[in-house]
Amino acid sequence: MATAPTATKQSFEEFCRTTFDPKKEFGKPEALKGVRVLSMTQYILGPSCASYLAELGAEVIKIEAPRRGEAMRHTTPFNEPFLYPLSKWIPERGTGLGFLGANPNEYFISVDFHRPEGQAIVKKLAAKSDVIVENYRPGTFDRWGIGYRQIREINPRLVYCWLGGFGGWGPGRVRASYDILGQAQGGNFGMTGKPEFMGGTPSKHTIWLADYWGGMMGALQILAALYWRDKVSGEGTFTEYSQVHGVTRQLEYALPLYGRHGITRERWGNWDTQLCVHGVIKTGKSSYPNSDNPQEQEEGYILVSAYTDEAFAKLCQATGNSALASKYGKTEERVKAESQVEIYPALEKWAADKTKEQVASTLDAAGVNNQPVWNSKEVASNPHWQERGAVRWLDDPTFGDLLHQGPAYKLSETPPRLKWAFKPVGADNEYILGKLAGFSPDDLRRLEEQETI
Amino acid sequence: MAAANGKVLPWPAVPTPTPEEVYAGLSDQAKDYPLFLESICRQEHNFEKPEALSKIRVLDCTTTMTIGHWCSSQLAELGAEVIQVEPPGGDPLRKLTPFGRKQYMFKDKDSGEEVGGHFLHEMRNKLSVTLNLATEEGRNILKQFAVHADVIIENAPPGQWDEWGIGYRQLSQINPRLIYCWVGQLGQWGPRKDKPGNVEPTGQAACGFVHGTGDPKEFGGVPTRSALWMADHVGGTTAAMGILAALLYRENVSGKGQFVEATSAEAIIRILDYSWAWHSMDGSIRPRFGNWDLAINIYAVNPCKDGYMMVGGGHDRLWYRIWRVVGDEYPAVEDEILGDPNLREVADRLAMNQQIKTYTLLCEWLKDNSRADAERKLSKQQVASGGVLYVNEVAEYTHFKYRGHVAETESPHYGKILYGTTPFIQHKTPGRMKWLGRPTGYDNQDVYRRLLGFTREDFSRLEKAKVI
Repeated sequence: MATAPTATKQSFEEFCRTTFDPKKEFGKPEALKGVRVLSMTQYILGPSCASYLAELGAEVIKIEAPRRGEAMRHTTPFNEPFLYPLSKWIPERGTGLGFLGANPNEYFISVDFHRPEGQAIVKKLAAKSDVIVENYRPGTFDRWGIGYRQIREINPRLVYCWLGGFGGWGPGRVRASYDILGQAQGGNFGMTGKPEFMGGTPSKHTIWLADYWGGMMGALQILAALYWRDKVSGEGTFTEYSQVHGVTRQLEYALPLYGRHGITRERWGNWDTQLCVHGVIKTGKSSYPNSDNPQEQEEGYILVSAYTDEAFAKLCQATGNSALASKYGKTEERVKAESQVEIYPALEKWAADKTKEQVASTLDAAGVNNQPVWNSKEVASNPHWQERGAVRWLDDPTFGDLLHQGPAYKLSETPPRLKWAFKPVGADNEYILGKLAGFSPDDLRRLEEQETI
Repeated sequence: MAAANGKVLPWPAVPTPTPEEVYAGLSDQAKDYPLFLESICRQEHNFEKPEALSKIRVLDCTTTMTIGHWCSSQLAELGAEVIQVEPPGGDPLRKLTPFGRKQYMFKDKDSGEEVGGHFLHEMRNKLSVTLNLATEEGRNILKQFAVHADVIIENAPPGQWDEWGIGYRQLSQINPRLIYCWVGQLGQWGPRKDKPGNVEPTGQAACGFVHGTGDPKEFGGVPTRSALWMADHVGGTTAAMGILAALLYRENVSGKGQFVEATSAEAIIRILDYSWAWHSMDGSIRPRFGNWDLAINIYAVNPCKDGYMMVGGGHDRLWYRIWRVVGDEYPAVEDEILGDPNLREVADRLAMNQQIKTYTLLCEWLKDNSRADAERKLSKQQVASGGVLYVNEVAEYTHFKYRGHVAETESPHYGKILYGTTPFIQHKTPGRMKWLGRPTGYDNQDVYRRLLGFTREDFSRLEKAKVI
């Protein structure tokens, strides 16, 4: 427990600041110390799943194709930023930033799974591991003799986690998938964005949400399976996570509504179907009119949240909308679609000659909740996120200074932490294969020449 | 599904195929692996198997916000006994229904109490208990509960529980094994810590997600929120990860609990991929790019004949296959693409101009093709593709019905309800749905008698004093 003798005299906020101080992470133990994970994954869904375990202290060994590594290393916004070198074999190329965020804290080895000798290496490592995460097409590893059916014979305590688009069984099992397809077919894509009458279209959640969040759902299931193994049964298991299934799980009232009334949940843009006022409005003026970056020249946007009758009255007073106050003073009147269509434009009219900061300060003074829509620069430079270590500078051992996301959540005694962003392809071949597969420097040299590793 | 006469048809409207139909015509070898998976994973076997977290008791005391509800429903699907503690009268979220339309709410057949579909969907497998923490006596009852709980989750305004004498500092004295989790939008400490009443999409707006979603301004787009309280779902998932990591550490190492904090905004900051590193390298501010992707081409949703169509193929093999399909109907388009030296290298295709050219030409073909036609033609070439589905289509999608992604349950309180099932498909300890929500305080008798030894007199006194 973190309760120091003087803790009771400390204010609660000070207690939290001390307890969760990101600078103290490395002075504390790790929750998953001693857990070994093999990550035979590509793109984001599988890799991110393993990386959440690596943040908690598991020894995650990422196994990639020799030389060029996995596909995501060759993906970067507009083909501009890269981190060098890609590998010791291809130093003139770099790894794209698409790879970053999905592979922190891991050890990187290269193995060609197509070859029997490569498969033998995987089996040796699997015998000494607690978890396998893989996201190849269903049945591929089974065909290669390194799937769940074979690995459980070698190591019955192993938790084998497969992640993918549609799952390994059923009529759609052969379909390839990506994050965007998971979103499109799972149902959240069609509901997001403005409805047709406001001139909108279905909209993608811009991050690779179904991948990165799907990886969390996979990791959550792995943690539960490890608990069951360690505390109850001593046995491993097989888990299957379909990202399109995950997306369908999070559709809130949409399925119950459809099932009962046959009504299809539609898009409602930046407003909220269940609360009003609780939506994003446009403020007419840019916060940075003199910037040469088009992202900053744009008008501002702000979430205004005043959904109780009391808060709405304050909002109307602060914005001089007395007509709205009397007409829509009651929650059940305000939340109707036809009311929302009148209320939000009135707020935007009021905000037309203001920046989002000016709107925020008026609303703050009136005690009305709000949140400016921050761009990535505003998030990165915000003292709140800096103090909490949500975005932090990383002195990366390979790539130097990088601004990097911190772990998503905080633990007082065994905090997850960030050690390095990633490493070049095969950077840990010598360390891991020497330690776990018993390879001598000569073995490693031969395997490298053959491009088995 | 609503028929033309307004009558709601039974679900599924189209029968779900049998395994024999799905695997008909395949060789034994081709059937072997999927049938093996079916034998170990099909949800109809779930109740023959144990639950991973059946020894764990969770007290979810969160209200008005979905991050805690999402967190505890994941744990409940994995087998934990989750007791949802609501203020007397129920969590205000119970009353939410789209546009305030009461006719969309679900009515308890005994008491007539109504509940909105959103709240109901996250109350799966949970016990419903009422307790008024604003009273001294209510807080004393919570302290007694804390002795019996492995996990407590709360989302009160920062410091509220500490001030009340039931925060982490106090409860960890009563039960050192307790895992205490606070969830919120921006945090319980720091210059912009949570204010009372903050709820999603506050988290989405504060982390860069809303700014980065939607079309660029030049294309008529604006920053766009998710239709869902999505950051709560992601944040709730991270909270559950933190809780299980703490649980493993307690069982395997320390014997003690700890303090967990998770926020919806930080969950999204964690997964906003390269935004921060990119900004630190050259000052770039992540731009909106609509339904296209900054880092992959082809990888996008574009309009087609009957809706919106996803087509994906980031590397050469798929790139040429996609244009071959297009070329079958528009040879000039295929020629134009293959003849452009600036589109030959995978990396060169990522520049803005090249993406505009790619998708403009792809839309020539998509405008003549429905989602089904486009998918059929592209699937023959093993290209990842599929239409944007609306909820009515999701509910009837053959693959989803076959695998049970969507299912119908017969609630003893609310009748038949369609819902999204847990994606925790597993061999030994699968997640599962046992019941979907209960009326307010439905489990007071069971829980208070079983854990705290309440008597008839206790119930009548505490109910009268509005403590429970």
